[in-house]
Amino acid sequence: MKIWSIYLSPERRPETSNAWRPPVDVYRKGASWLLKFDLAGVRPADVRIRLAGSRVTVSGVRRDWIVDQGYSYHSMEIMYNRFERTVELSGDLSNAEYSFEARDGLLLVRVDIAQ
Amino acid sequence: MPEQENFQSLPLVPLKNSVLFPNLLMPLSVGRPASLAAVEAALATEEKEIVIVAQRESGVDSPGPKDLYTIGTKAVIRKMSRPSEDLVEVLVLGVERVIILKLEEAEPFIRARVRPLPMPQDAGGAELEALTRALLELGAKAISVTQGGQPPQNPVELGKLLGFTDEPLRLVYMLASMFSLDLAKEQELLEAPTRVEALRLMHGYLSHELQVLELRNKIATDARTEMSKEQREYLLRQQMRAIQQELGEKNSDQADVEMLREQIEKADLPPDVLKEANRELQRLERMPQGQPEHQVIRTYLELILELPWNKRTEDNLDLARARQVLDEDHYNLKEVKERILEHLSVLKLNPEAKAPILCFVGPPGVGKTSLGQSIARAIGRKFERMSLGGMHDEAELRGHRRTYIGALPGRLIQAVRRAGANNPVLMLDEVDKLGRDFRGDPAAALLEILDPEQNKTFRDNYLDLPFDLSKCLFITTANTLDTIPRPLLDRMEILRLSGYSEEEKVHIARRYLIPRQLKQTGLTAEQCRITDDGLRKLITGYTREAGLRRIEQAIGRVARKVTLKFAEGNTTAVVIDAGAVVEMLGPESFYQEEARKEMVPGVATGLAWTEAGGDVLYIEATLLPDGKGMTLTGQLGEVMQESAKTAQSYVWSHADSLGIDPELFKSSGVHVHVPAGAIPKDGPSAGVTMTTALASLYSGNPARSDTAMTGEVTLTGLVLPIGGVKEKVLAARRAGINRVILPKANQKDLRDLPEPVRKETEFIFAERVEDVLAAVIPGLAERLTITRKVA
Repeated sequence: MKIWSIYLSPERRPETSNAWRPPVDVYRKGASWLLKFDLAGVRPADVRIRLAGSRVTVSGVRRDWIVDQGYSYHSMEIMYNRFERTVELSGDLSNAEYSFEARDGLLLVRVDIAQ
Repeated sequence: MPEQENFQSLPLVPLKNSVLFPNLLMPLSVGRPASLAAVEAALATEEKEIVIVAQRESGVDSPGPKDLYTIGTKAVIRKMSRPSEDLVEVLVLGVERVIILKLEEAEPFIRARVRPLPMPQDAGGAELEALTRALLELGAKAISVTQGGQPPQNPVELGKLLGFTDEPLRLVYMLASMFSLDLAKEQELLEAPTRVEALRLMHGYLSHELQVLELRNKIATDARTEMSKEQREYLLRQQMRAIQQELGEKNSDQADVEMLREQIEKADLPPDVLKEANRELQRLERMPQGQPEHQVIRTYLELILELPWNKRTEDNLDLARARQVLDEDHYNLKEVKERILEHLSVLKLNPEAKAPILCFVGPPGVGKTSLGQSIARAIGRKFERMSLGGMHDEAELRGHRRTYIGALPGRLIQAVRRAGANNPVLMLDEVDKLGRDFRGDPAAALLEILDPEQNKTFRDNYLDLPFDLSKCLFITTANTLDTIPRPLLDRMEILRLSGYSEEEKVHIARRYLIPRQLKQTGLTAEQCRITDDGLRKLITGYTREAGLRRIEQAIGRVARKVTLKFAEGNTTAVVIDAGAVVEMLGPESFYQEEARKEMVPGVATGLAWTEAGGDVLYIEATLLPDGKGMTLTGQLGEVMQESAKTAQSYVWSHADSLGIDPELFKSSGVHVHVPAGAIPKDGPSAGVTMTTALASLYSGNPARSDTAMTGEVTLTGLVLPIGGVKEKVLAARRAGINRVILPKANQKDLRDLPEPVRKETEFIFAERVEDVLAAVIPGLAERLTITRKVA
């Protein structure tokens, strides 16, 4: 029992990959999808978007930076380094078009499936 | 990927006792300064990457290149917090296996150049698949064992729970961290060259681990089985009882209880005792036999049944017969015998009279204990004796409370139980040798027992019911009264048994000792006859005591030598005269001629009382020219030292009438010695002897050697009475001195002396010390006014 409770606690749960998973909200309007990723502090240049089959995968790196010189960490909760999130949509995305923008710490990805 | 991206230079944190596997999260507490610096450096980077490597020995605090394994894990710091100033807690996620190529810096933290070391994508195929499944099954089993033997989880289910999807390595790493392998094994897993190899290693470790777990479970189970075996026995017993009841057979428990009940009904117990006994019996009935308390209650009930609550022996009130029995067993001792007969006459008139509590005091071997036995025989009572010598625990007398394990009733209740009557003669030997310590004072317990007002309801701690001891005739014995506490002494009637004179010894030997020893050696009175001369030789030449033990031993030795003669073929009667005694017992041990023949000025013969009877002692004084004051030696007590000073002052103040030059007192000191030097002495009764010795010394006239003296002296020269006259006179006689000076007030004590001694000894009774000096120092006799009285 003990073993289960320890090893299956969120902290010790093994990651399926080494990257962290940002939370995402998915919106839909007909054949248009809007994905809102919680990805504050990520530079747009470090984001990669892939479409394959019916899936959209957003991956990249969140790089930390020094806000003010001379400060060092007292505690840290934000995850840095590689992230990756795959969202399953319906329909074939091979001909879909996509665009993304960063707004107020969120990454907005629009996917339009061609009719 | 371009070549240069493969190499990275990262801060390194050495890990004690553990290995971080890729894809696993691990919380770390970082406290070592170098590691702290490494973490800080990693946190300051954009990507928060760090290398975690196990160190070979956990004891090394600042490990160098040699102390670290070369294969470690690159990790990302996920969370970080600082519980205190010098401690950082981080949560790291293993990213990938790396090989350390070089340690680039050592200060302030180790920076390592590393290259990823990915696991080759070996084909594996069927083998990999088989190993993966086997490991899953084994893992499931091991987990179920740790959970206490639950049925194994479905292996597929387990795989899902462990987050294992398609990568067998993750399963290996997960299981490794679950079953806390040791460091070497974990590192070996991390370094495994191929997936198959890693799976194989893990399989081996886990099988071993499983065996250990199973063994541990078996031990635990065995302990459980042991317990249930006892339970089974208990159940079977209960069933047996039920069957017995069905068959109408009473079980042994109940039979016991019935028997006790019957005995209690039959025994004529006082109402209080009956009530208590029935109460205990009811408790016994409800109690299973196996319980220890069961035996305790049984023993207690048995004691109640055996005690003579109302049983008593009929006293023999025939005075003539009682006197006859006492005389048969003991010679003389008139005072004690009279006291016993008095009590018998009281009992005749008032059967409920309280028994006296007697205390026989006297030197060893005078027959105190055997007198007790003889008293019991004379009045027809049971006799029980116990020795109190060295007893220091009150509980010995009064018992332990029943709540204690192994509790017993006290010795008194046990003695009464043995006697089987509530009016036995109880002899408490050696009452002067009671000990006392932190466990209690047995003398205090005796106070209750020996008080006729209190011992009517004597409460033993074990019995916890009042028992009437007032019908018991208590006799205590002691060698001396000095060590008996005052309140205890008050409760007893003291009867002194002093030492025997030579004449008495001869009588006793003739009447009791010789017949007894002859009987023991199997001789008849005709075969071995001891003449009076022989007996006297034996008594005076080989023994020096107040009692009779050594005399009996000596007679026994003679008797055995005679037996030997008969065994060697002698047929004629053996007559033991003085010569034969010397021949048989060897040279005499003591000389009759104890008295000194020649006396120099400054020596006087004194008499002393000891526990073993009386003794003659010489007081020696000598002048120390140019000396000062008075030196006293010979282990003298305070009182005796003072009496020496009193004697000197007396002689000094009467120097004129004694014809002594007063200058002598000023010009020289004096040394007084009382042999034997090693025996402590005390008391005022050597006063006259001291005075005589000093008067003789200063005046230069020797004292008479045939005269012994005793008495206390006051500063003005009065002679005060002393104790132990009989012993002292007998001692003088033993030493061959037939002229004794006693205080006038002791004249009455002469009636204690045997007739022949009284006749043959010349007694001088002194009122003043001048009387003494005149009688003992011939050279001074003329100078002094003589008031001499001869008995």
